Amino acid sequence: MNNIKLNETPVRTSRNFNINNIKLENIKVPEQISEFENITITGDTSKTNIEQNANKIDLVYGLSKDFINQVNTQSNQKLKLTIDSKKNSQTQMEFNFDEENNTLVENIEIIAKENTRSTIILKYLSEEEVEAFHNGIIRVNAKENANIDIILINLMNTISNNFIAIQNTLENNSKVNYYIIDFGGKNSVTNYYSNLIGENSQNTLNTIYLGKENQLFDLNYIAEARGKKSNINIEVQGALKDNAKKHFKGTIDFKKGCKKATGNENENCMLLSDTAKSIALPMLLCSEEDVEGNHSSSAGKIGEKELFYIMSRGFEQKEAMKLMVRAKFNKILDNIQNQELKDEILQEIDKRID
Amino acid sequence: MSKTKLDEINRNIYDIKNKDEYDFKIKKGLTPEIIEEISKQKNDPEWMKEFRLKALEVYNKLELPTWGPDISELNMDEIATYVRPKTGLSNSWEDVPDDIKNTFDKLGIPEAERTSLAGVGAQYDSEVVYHSMKEDLIKQGVIYTDMETAVREYPELVKEHFMKCVPVYDHKFVALHGAVWSGGSFVYVPKGVKVDIPLQSYFRLNSPESGQFEHTLIIVDEGASLHFIEGCSAPKYNKVNLHAGCVELYVKDNAYLRYSTIENWSKNMLNLNTKKAIVGKNAKMDWVSGSFGSKISMLYPMSILNGEGAKTEYTGISFAGGGQNLDNGFKVVHNSPNTSSLVNAKSISKNGGKCTYRSLVRINENAKNSKSSVSCESLMLDDISISDTIPTNDIRTDEVEFSHEAKIGKISDKTIFYLMSRGMSEEDAKAMIVRGFANPIAKELPVEYAVEMNNLINLELEGAIG
Repeated sequence: MNNIKLNETPVRTSRNFNINNIKLENIKVPEQISEFENITITGDTSKTNIEQNANKIDLVYGLSKDFINQVNTQSNQKLKLTIDSKKNSQTQMEFNFDEENNTLVENIEIIAKENTRSTIILKYLSEEEVEAFHNGIIRVNAKENANIDIILINLMNTISNNFIAIQNTLENNSKVNYYIIDFGGKNSVTNYYSNLIGENSQNTLNTIYLGKENQLFDLNYIAEARGKKSNINIEVQGALKDNAKKHFKGTIDFKKGCKKATGNENENCMLLSDTAKSIALPMLLCSEEDVEGNHSSSAGKIGEKELFYIMSRGFEQKEAMKLMVRAKFNKILDNIQNQELKDEILQEIDKRID
Repeated sequence: MSKTKLDEINRNIYDIKNKDEYDFKIKKGLTPEIIEEISKQKNDPEWMKEFRLKALEVYNKLELPTWGPDISELNMDEIATYVRPKTGLSNSWEDVPDDIKNTFDKLGIPEAERTSLAGVGAQYDSEVVYHSMKEDLIKQGVIYTDMETAVREYPELVKEHFMKCVPVYDHKFVALHGAVWSGGSFVYVPKGVKVDIPLQSYFRLNSPESGQFEHTLIIVDEGASLHFIEGCSAPKYNKVNLHAGCVELYVKDNAYLRYSTIENWSKNMLNLNTKKAIVGKNAKMDWVSGSFGSKISMLYPMSILNGEGAKTEYTGISFAGGGQNLDNGFKVVHNSPNTSSLVNAKSISKNGGKCTYRSLVRINENAKNSKSSVSCESLMLDDISISDTIPTNDIRTDEVEFSHEAKIGKISDKTIFYLMSRGMSEEDAKAMIVRGFANPIAKELPVEYAVEMNNLINLELEGAIG
């Protein structure tokens, strides 16, 4: 059992605000990592080369030195995906945690070659009773004109621990779009970092999270605009019920030289119980004049009027609440083309709100 | 399109330095002996001496902040903590020594006082040297005096409130303040009394290496109301200077307090000030804050909304020029149902200056039906400056309406083009836009009473744009 400190913000604020990092107590960080074999890979694998030889890396941010080190020295999956397809190729990787495969320490490296178009779906599931541990690093290198969608779905149970560190590098005219569906884990801690070095590069990040029981979400999203006319869009929609808690730390950093860059960040948290807690630290850092940066953040319960309206149409309160949450999340889910996947996520929303 | 040249304003009229004359200057560094010496010089009652010594212990235990601007250049041992001017307390303007008077004259204090200000407690170095108050305020039972006198003459009131709102454990510089505080204002407005003209206090810092640790304690009793104006300006020196003042405000049930500040410290000053208000039932606390001077500023006024229906508003602007790092913002804690807070913060960075908006909104479990709305806007006037926004929003209950929005950007080319198409020069257009940007704050200041303070804003903006 370890007490760990993770996910430092790029800039510190007052210690009394309790947001500079996350301290977790009694986390079982496994020392011996056994095999993890429950992976299903589907999709057009002829256009995407998959090897077990992802390179070691030192992340700019990451969750902590120890967590990066664990991935570099003990990973039981080292997947390197090289995308070489001009038509949209789709690859789905499903990781299933069960009794035998309860620990996944993975290193995923994705290289989207010039002018390629692709969608990568990463899905993490766990059996009800399994206390799983997941520590993963996902790196994406989007070369010139590459366009890549990454859909990350965490549907693990609420007794597991989920830790993910993401690092993206965007070259000229590249587009990297993330959709993160963050529902699972007793603790779900994500570190996301995008480095927009290329001119006209575009990075969008759309997240929905849904917390219940004593779940804790710690989201630390950092995007740095370096290239001229680069564009960052972060949209986070979440709902918390029971005693769930969320820390959202979102940073858009306009570095010197990123002229005409734009950045928008919007975070909204629906509080479905009076014991749920939401802390947000939406940061805008700026050392370039010719940019446009906006952020907004809001929190509150579902509007009484809207609820009343839906209930007056014959819905029960719980159903009405579900509808409202789905409506908010749909804004993001609508961007996911894969209908089957979308339905699965919607079902999961209903299940978790019940 | 040609680039507007933004020159630094000539600050000489604020950076007036008098000959450093003092009759008592304590040796450098901080020890219990020094604190006892300060206490003796101040004729402190025993409880205050004990308080100072306890604060020193806390100071020695606490660490420097691990966040915000780099203040490692600060060497506490180098800063003499207590400088007393040659003159003692005066109650008439004529008795004030000429050189001190001259400095104040140039800052416009007597003008303001003669015309419409109710009272002036002007702090010169660490002692209040001039103090006056209109007769009718005294008749209404309003107490407006320097802090030392208050400790002696109103021991019960002071003991009940002194450093209870801002406990010495808050942070290292508050502990330091508790140990070495000197000077400042004390105001008590009795129940139901509405003070209809603002009270003004003006601070100056004048001795090299001397810190200023003034303590302001204001109690606005039930149903009463007050507007207090605090302005700061200091001469320029090469060595680091520290300002670690403390402002404690008690706004009792149904009372109203507006606290306006113009900080215009010279550009070698480290302004590490602490301001906090406790707001009672259905009471309202308004902060108006303009931060123009100082090298480094870490200033986050705070409202604690303890009473049901308590309200607070913060309207603030920071203007950072070359070499300045202004880390300002606002903190609010909602502790009761139906409370509300409204924040409007603006900042302008130019010539390599850095502005940071840092804040906290905390809505606690029992603050049902509370509302909070925060808006911050930052304007970058060139590409060598820095502007950061670091707000923390901590929401612990569902029955709330909370929203926060922030914008960063430069002056829009379209707007400049529009104004120029109406016959304005580019410079005038930019100047007009910046003034317009600052206007929501400027209009909150009592123009008719504090001309001098408004001039500070105008001068800074006009000088900046040319």
